[in-house]
Formats: sequence, structure tokens, C-alpha cells
Amino acid sequence: MLKKRLIGVITVKNGWAVQSFGYRRHLPLGRPEILAENLDRWGADEIILQCIDRSAHKLGPDFALLERVAKMGLGTPIIYSGGIRSFQEGIQVIQSGADRLCIDALLRYGPKDVAALSDRLGAQALIAALPLSIESGRLRWYDYRCCTYASLDDKVKTLLRNKVVSEALIIDWKNEGYDRSFDFDLLKHFPLEGVPLIAFGGLNEASVLRRVLGVRQVAAAAIGNSLNYREHSISHLKHELGGLSLRAPSVKIEPE
Amino acid sequence: MRRLNIGIVDYGVGNIASVQHALHAIGYRSTIASKSETLAQTDLLLLPGVGAFPAAMQMMNASGLTDFVRQQALDGKPIVGICLGMQLLAESSSELGHTDGLGLIPGKVVALEQSRWHIGWNSIETLTEDHLFMNCNDQVLYFNHSFFFDAPVEYQTAVARLDEFSEPFTVIVHRDNVVGLQFHPEKSQVVGRNMLVSVIEGLCRA
Repeated sequence: MLKKRLIGVITVKNGWAVQSFGYRRHLPLGRPEILAENLDRWGADEIILQCIDRSAHKLGPDFALLERVAKMGLGTPIIYSGGIRSFQEGIQVIQSGADRLCIDALLRYGPKDVAALSDRLGAQALIAALPLSIESGRLRWYDYRCCTYASLDDKVKTLLRNKVVSEALIIDWKNEGYDRSFDFDLLKHFPLEGVPLIAFGGLNEASVLRRVLGVRQVAAAAIGNSLNYREHSISHLKHELGGLSLRAPSVKIEPE
Repeated sequence: MRRLNIGIVDYGVGNIASVQHALHAIGYRSTIASKSETLAQTDLLLLPGVGAFPAAMQMMNASGLTDFVRQQALDGKPIVGICLGMQLLAESSSELGHTDGLGLIPGKVVALEQSRWHIGWNSIETLTEDHLFMNCNDQVLYFNHSFFFDAPVEYQTAVARLDEFSEPFTVIVHRDNVVGLQFHPEKSQVVGRNMLVSVIEGLCRA
């Protein structure tokens, strides 16, 4: 039976892993490779490497980081996000060691490149990263490059509806990094039924994770900062989430 | 014991770096190549995953790899396909239209009708006493696909289901020296890597 996933998110800024709070405030954590190694050892179901400064500075994907992580030979699937501007860069990200791609700006500015990537890599390799919020009761898609909001437009809806990309990463960007703050209205207002969703932002505690993973359309929950606060955090979380359809923890957790 | 050299077939769309580093992590040498003369020197041919069927076959055909891999299979060389690489072993696929495959194992690649995708970790059910997959029943592995290899039952070694009520679909095929794995053993942590070692050793040192 297919399990729901707990995904570890490593947010990278200026080459360093950081704790992020609403994508506005950042505190250093260390080298991304070390965090990736931990998440792999602790049994994360996937790892998202999220490089948040690449698009804004037009740097393109961080191939050097990807290659360093790939060389570690981790046994966990790597999803790369950050700075992918073209078909060619998307291909190169996979060739550098990622298993899947998260695309954001390309959804807005290069839907043809997204379609070409889908034809080449298969749609299952592509995830639409959607920073969302509720403004005046309506679902709004945030463009962090221009700091503007808009509705989810038909282009991106078509990419999801037509299976050009496989899953949507619903980023509660306003609440990202804050305790128990995920806005469930984002899921309620998401307009496309049947598209598997990955929830991210403000998901740091078992009770909230249990609720979000209980939503039928949610296939995975992505967790950032809080995974770094204790050894074997993924196994601890899975232990606390007993009864949900998750892969077994990688280490046995004794009751406290 | 001599370290085996795994030939990773580079058809331009696979996650070759990911596969190569995983092979190194479990103690194998590997050679990434798209040239038949280089791949012919290796102990086993591995067709990696990630990619769409038509693009992969187009590149295999253009580079002469289709005929080479077919001949190597006939000559008894061990061949392992992972994810898309498994699907390439089939006679044809309906992904983005009809495309002929390598035809090393009878059957066709068709869309999963029960769901848009099969992405994530799932348990497998072994159907036979295949010596390459002893003790693999109920193991949980990482999948990422939306099409599957609809193979005749005699070539099916294991199946998976989306949930307890759904129809099973093939996730391992095996015919003599050719094995296909729909999941990503290289990305299935310890369980997957142990299975990959068992397959490689079983095929190469039998």
C-alpha cells in the first residue's frame, strides 16, 4: 500500500543551510551536505534542497552543491529547487544528481520549457512549487521576485490538470518556519481536485502533521527547521504519527 | 573477489549521477557510457531511470544502443533496468503515443489507470521463489512513475498495489539474464541497496 511521505527540507542561502522564518528572516544552520546526510540517515522519505537566493540573483541552479550532495551517494531521493530558468538547466539538474525538480519561476515565465522537460524527463520528475496565501478570503499565488500576488492562472492550472507536472508543493510561505501555523484554507481553496499535494510551511508538530496528512489529497508533508533540533527527528515524528499510513521509522523509538 | 564493473547506459535522460554514486556507495565500480565498445567491457548493463519512454528510445535508436543491448542480452550478459530502464525492456509503450521498446521481455508499458501517479514508498508482493529476490516480500521501496510494465505472468516476480482494494501491477520482471525493477533501489535506502546487491551478485556470479 502506497505510504504518505515525510519530506525533509533543507533551505540554502548563500551556500549555507539556514533556518527560515517566512522566507524573511534566516539563521545559519551549517553545511547543507551535513543536513542531507542526517536526513538520509534518519530515514526521510525524500529530501528537498531548496536554494532560495538563486532566482532573485539570476544565478541559475546550484550545480556545485548538487554535485557535492550527489557524491555522498545518499539513499534518499533528492528533489532540487531553486534557480531553474530553462529546459537545459532542468536537464542538467537531473544529470548532476537530483532525482526530481521543483519548478517555480519557470511555471510563470517558461511553460513551454516545463512541457519540454516533462516530455524528456517524465512528468513524475516535476513538481510545481506554489507559494500561496489567503488574501481577503481568496487563494493568491505569490511571486517572490516582484513581491506581488495573483490568482493561480490558467497556464499553471493547465500544466497540473494535463499531467505535465505530477505534484503541487503548497507552500504556506507566510507561516513557514513558525510553530503549528499551517493555513489549512490553502488546501480547502486549492482549485484542482486529484492533483497530489505536498504541504509545506508551519508543519512542525505531530498534531498538525496528523491533520494535514489526513487530508485525502495530501500525499506528503514537507518539514524544514524543526527536523534539525534532535537526532532521528524523522523517526520520532513517525513514532508520534502512529496509525497513519507512513513508512516505518528507520530506528525504533522507545517510549519516553 | 574482483570488483564488478557496472556499465551505466547513458541514453541522455537518466539520473546517471545518482545511480553511479549509489553504486560506488555499495562497493561497485561503474562506467557511464553511450558507446557500445565501452559498455561491452563491463560486467553488467544497467539502464537507469528518470525520463520519458519515447525520448529514451529515440536516443537509444540514434546512438545504436538498441541493437547493442539486444545483442548483449542474447549473448547472456546480465542486464538490469531501473524504473524507466525496466520499461524499456518491454516490447512497446503507449506513453505519449506508441513507441517500440527493446523487446527483451514480452509485454507492453501502459498507463496506470487507478491513479494519476505512483509516487512514494510502497510495499511489494513477491509472486515466485526467485533466487534473486529471496526475503523481499513486503519490503518497502521508492517508486516514481505513472506507467507500468504489463508483462505476462511467467515473467512477473513481484507486484504492488496502491491500496488494499486495488488491482496489483507488475513491479519486478525477470527473464533469464534480464531483470527489471520499477522502483528505484538506489534511492530506497538500505532495503533497496541490499536488493540491488542481491540482483547484481545473483546475475553476475551465478
